[in-house]
Amino acid sequence: MTREWWKHLVLILGALIVIAPFYTMVSYSFKSPGEIDRGEGGFFGRQELMVDEKCVKLRDPNRDDIAAASARFPGMDDNAIRKALASEAEADCSMRPAVYNYSQAFTQAPLLRYLANGVIVTLSIFALQVVVALPAAYALAKLRFWGREAVFGLVLFCLLIPVHAVALPLYIGLAKLGLTNTYAALVVPWTISVFGIFLMRQFFLTVPDDLIDAGRMDGMSEFAIVWRIMLPTAIPALLAFAIFSVVAHWNDYFWPRIVVTGNRDLFTPPLGLREFKGGADGSMFGPMMASATVIVTPLIVAFLLAQRRFIEGITLSGMK
Amino acid sequence: MTATDTILSPQQLSAADPARRQRRTAWMLTAPALALMVLILLAPVAIAAVLSFTNYSLGNFGFDWVGVENYDKLLTRSTYAKMFTATFTYVLTVTPISVGLGLGAALLINSLTRLRDLYKTIYFLPVMATLIAMSIAWEFMLHPTIGVVNQTLAKGCGTWVETLWPWLAMHCAEGMPLWLGNRRYAIWVVCFVGIWQGFGFNMVLYLAGLTSVHRELYHAAEIDGARSGWERFRLVTWPALGPTTVFVVTISSIRSFQVFDTIEAFYPIGAGPGKSAYVMMFAIFEKGVEQNLIGIGSAITMMFLGFVLMITLIQRWLVERKVHYG
Repeated sequence: MTREWWKHLVLILGALIVIAPFYTMVSYSFKSPGEIDRGEGGFFGRQELMVDEKCVKLRDPNRDDIAAASARFPGMDDNAIRKALASEAEADCSMRPAVYNYSQAFTQAPLLRYLANGVIVTLSIFALQVVVALPAAYALAKLRFWGREAVFGLVLFCLLIPVHAVALPLYIGLAKLGLTNTYAALVVPWTISVFGIFLMRQFFLTVPDDLIDAGRMDGMSEFAIVWRIMLPTAIPALLAFAIFSVVAHWNDYFWPRIVVTGNRDLFTPPLGLREFKGGADGSMFGPMMASATVIVTPLIVAFLLAQRRFIEGITLSGMK
Repeated sequence: MTATDTILSPQQLSAADPARRQRRTAWMLTAPALALMVLILLAPVAIAAVLSFTNYSLGNFGFDWVGVENYDKLLTRSTYAKMFTATFTYVLTVTPISVGLGLGAALLINSLTRLRDLYKTIYFLPVMATLIAMSIAWEFMLHPTIGVVNQTLAKGCGTWVETLWPWLAMHCAEGMPLWLGNRRYAIWVVCFVGIWQGFGFNMVLYLAGLTSVHRELYHAAEIDGARSGWERFRLVTWPALGPTTVFVVTISSIRSFQVFDTIEAFYPIGAGPGKSAYVMMFAIFEKGVEQNLIGIGSAITMMFLGFVLMITLIQRWLVERKVHYG
């Protein structure tokens, strides 16, 4: 330990820089606009009651409100009733900054919808990737057929093509078909994962042939073999691939930015955050960081719970 | 089945049928993947290649061939000169530094007896986090007045730090820098966020690489007179990590070519002061999608593809030369 102290010092300094933006994000999501502005209040802020001006303005009493409330304030003139109502509104509209920020995050923009879209899109992508890749990987690993080497060669060739290079032509194709601003546009381009095919093929090569022959003896069709024998054996590899795929597409910003324009109903979480940022003035920094926290948290929590698997999954491409 | 055996036995005849059936199912199993590979990967690349020689726009019925005009623009116009400058500045800064920091962190963590997993977890966090959200958090930290960075720097004003650090003294007098709005700093801030995000990934790969370095090699090196830690690193660790380094450099540089989120978060329009952060992905998005100049967007796409393929080919070549001594 005595000889290690300088290493810890260096690593702790590095860790502080790595954590700093996470700290800022979560801390701002708790603080009032004033505290953010003046840079005070520590991590949690002082959580003093604050008044939501917009909410007060919405409840600004008009003539009818005053007339309706006159029964509750007997013997008061209109002005006094107005004042009483205004202070009531103020009391109802005051809340802790943390509550304010998070409730604004969910009400200013349909954040729940964005999160649901994120889940729908990432899960559909993963499911379709498996449906397409698994049978192909099985055929490439375990079946003998003319043209197998050529198909595998094509897979290896396609591995060279970065998805960013096909983004523009795919966008043109989808626009021609009138498919921009649909779930299909968000999902379809990712249905083919050549990396998934490659990975599963390598995995299937290690599965003993006896297992498959036993299935054939039992009269199973090749399709049944793929889904009832190969799929269960491939669970560990699929799990790693699932993490790889879900993390990439939950965080993806480039592709949704291209194919979804303006239609909020289709926004994925990163797009929602961008829109929030576009419309945010100084008073919305807290709510914006609250939505950022909400978007980042699921993956971070999952990562902290299953670190080994996540690291394995995300660095999958490095473990060839 | 031997080649001389022309007459098939009944047993072999019945075996030929399942073989044919297997062939048919094999094609049926690969057909969806094959079709999608062609539709989603190969055809688009071909289409981009063709369109890069045209002046096509969405909504037009036809297009004119313009020859190499789009490429000519890329190589002559000052906007695209800025694009290449920004892209290469980013790639050539982020790749070496994130690889270097990844290696450094891995070596330090690997030599520890305690808290290894804690550091590993922390350093890997940025890799997992939604980059656009974290870019916004960085934007707040770098905010000229309320940002933590400038507030921290301001604390150094009027103290001994100022006398040791002329840069700080200058800014104490003139006001703290507008990190993102300043043309001199903008691209470097973008690079910094890229490094921050990516080095943990490289660290994990290096940690995996380090576990495969044989202990005996260190003993052998010591017997040969490699006493200092630096000598051991130079003679044993670094050569043994060769394959990891080739891979990490390749993937880091390809990822750096694809940078987009940070820049769009910082600069929704214009890619930074004086277009100083106008990287290729941003240009493809701006020209091809927003301005509907598909010809030029396709030409940038092809350039990007060319760079990435070049990096991959260099990697293959290095791997074949076997950068492997361990």
